[in-house]
Amino acid sequence: MIRWNTDQTDLREGLERWGEALSADHIELEEQGRFPEDKWKLLRDTGILSLPFEEEYGGLGQSLLTTMYALEGLGEYNRDSGLSFSATTSICSTGIPVQHFGTDDQKQRYLPLIASGEAIGAHAITEAEGGSDAMAMTTRATRDGETFVLSGSKAFVSNGPIADVIVVYARTHPRGGPLGTTAFLVDRDTPGLTTGGCGKKMGLRTSPLCELYLDDVRVPRSAVLGRVGGGLMVLDHVMKREVLFSFVVNAGEMRHRLERCVAYAKTRQSFGRAIGSYQSIANKIVDMKIQLESARKWLYDTGEKLEAGEDVTVDLAIAKLVTSRSNLATSLAAVQIFGGHGYMSEYGLEQDVRNAVGGTVYSGTNEIQYNRIASMLGLGAGR
Amino acid sequence: MSNVDTIKNFVISEFLPGTAPAELAVDHDLLNDGVIDSLGVLKLIAWVEDRFELAVGDADLDPENFRSVEAIDHFVTHARAAA
Ligand SMILES: Cc1cc2nc3c(=O)[nH]c(=O)nc-3n(C[C@H](O)[C@H](O)[C@H](O)COP(=O)(O)OP(=O)(O)OC[C@H]3O[C@@H](n4cnc5c(N)ncnc54)[C@H](O)[C@@H]3O)c2cc1C
Repeated sequence: MIRWNTDQTDLREGLERWGEALSADHIELEEQGRFPEDKWKLLRDTGILSLPFEEEYGGLGQSLLTTMYALEGLGEYNRDSGLSFSATTSICSTGIPVQHFGTDDQKQRYLPLIASGEAIGAHAITEAEGGSDAMAMTTRATRDGETFVLSGSKAFVSNGPIADVIVVYARTHPRGGPLGTTAFLVDRDTPGLTTGGCGKKMGLRTSPLCELYLDDVRVPRSAVLGRVGGGLMVLDHVMKREVLFSFVVNAGEMRHRLERCVAYAKTRQSFGRAIGSYQSIANKIVDMKIQLESARKWLYDTGEKLEAGEDVTVDLAIAKLVTSRSNLATSLAAVQIFGGHGYMSEYGLEQDVRNAVGGTVYSGTNEIQYNRIASMLGLGAGR
Repeated sequence: MSNVDTIKNFVISEFLPGTAPAELAVDHDLLNDGVIDSLGVLKLIAWVEDRFELAVGDADLDPENFRSVEAIDHFVTHARAAA
C-alpha cells in the first residue's frame, strides 16, 4: 500500500475547494451536451492539467503515482465527469506522448500549451470501420519529399470539436503490420482537416466528440511524433497512462458515490428504520466498498509497476476491467439505493450509469482486455 | 550459434512456442501473418537493440527490417557494420 506524503495529500486536498465551482450546473450542462468553457478555465487554474509535465515546460513535474492520486481527487470532488474526461484526454493524448517521444522543438511548441490548458489535445485512432483492430486502420500518410500527406477519416475523437492539436495515427506502410503506423501532430488549422458528425452520445456529454476528416492534409516531417513506423509504440505508451489516469478519476467518483450512499442509507427511513439497517441495502454498499478498493489496488499497483519499468500488460488489462466494471456496478447500485430519486436526472445518479458505460468501451474495449490477458496466458487469437 | 539461429530461437520462444526451428522458414513473413502483433513488436525491437547492442534509435522503423528472421539478420549485420 502506498503511504502518501504531506505534499501529495496537500495537492489532492487542495482540489476540494474547486469542487463546487467545477460541479456547478453539471446536470443541466450534461443535458445540453455543452462543453463548459468557463470550467475549463477553472480547471486550468487548479493546475491539474500540468501535473505530469516537466517543470521546464510549465509542468509541475509530478510522478505518475502522484498524478494519479491528484486525478483521483478530481474524480472525488468534480461531478462533471465529461469535464474530467476532457482533461485526462488532453493530458494523455498529446502531452504524454510529446513529453516522452517529442523532439525539443515539439516539446517547446506543445508542452507549455497543453500543460497550462491554453491548448486542448485529442487523438484520433479509431475509424468508422473499426477501432479494436487498430492495425487495420486505413487512414494513410504518404511521404512526399519532406512532407507527409494524410488522407482518410477518424471516428469518436474525444475533444475533437475543441482540440487545438490532434495526434493522428495513420498508415505509413501498407504491409507494415505493427510497424506500418505512424503518429503525427496535426494542428487544428491545418488545411484539409475538418470535423463533423458530432452526434449525441449516451454519457460524458460535456466532453465533445466528433469525426475527423483528413483531405490531403500536408504536414512537415517534423510533425512525426516518435519514429516513422513507431505509431503503435507511441499508442502503447499513451494507452498505459490513459488507462491509469482516466480510470483513477473513476475511482474518485466511486469514492464520492460510496460516501453519498452511506449517508443516504443512514438517513433515509423505511418501515420506521434507516434503510442501511436492512442487510440487502448494507450489502450493496459493502459491495461498493469492495469494488472501489479493488479498483484502487489494481490501479495503483499497476502504476507502481509501470514506474518501476516492469511489464504491465496483464495488470493494466485487469485494472481497466476491474475499474470499469466496478464503476458501472456501483453506479447502478447507487440508483437502486436511492430508489425513485436515483432514477431521476436531478440526483445525478442515472447520469453516472450512462457515463460509466463509456468506460467499458474506450481505452480498448473490455472484450479486448480479456483477449490481452488470454493471449498472455498463451490462449486465444491474441491482440 | 549464428545470428540467424539466435533470432530464430527468440522468435520461436516468444511468439511460436512449440514450433521446431526447422519449421520456421527464415523468410517467413512475421509481420503480415500476425505472428508478431503490436505488443510483440515492442519486445522484438527491444530484444534486437539489447542482444546485438544496437541503438535502433531515432531511425525510421522500416517494417522490411523486421519482416522475417532473415531480414532481421541483414538489418543487424548492416547496422553493426555502419556503427
Ligand atoms: C466515450 C468514448 C470516447 C472515445 N474517444 C476516442 C478517442 O478520443 N479517440 C479514438 O480514436 N477513439 C475513441 N473512442 C473509440 C473507442 O476507442 C472505440 O469505440 C473502441 O476502441 C472500439 O472500437 P469500435 O467502436 O470500432 O468497435 P469494434 O472494434 O467494431 O468492436 C465492436 C464490438 O466487438 C468487440 N470485438 C471486436 N474485436 C473483438 C475481438 N477480437 N474479440 C472479442 N470481441 C471483439 C468489441 O469489444 C465490441 O464489443 C471513444 C469511444 C467512446 C465510447
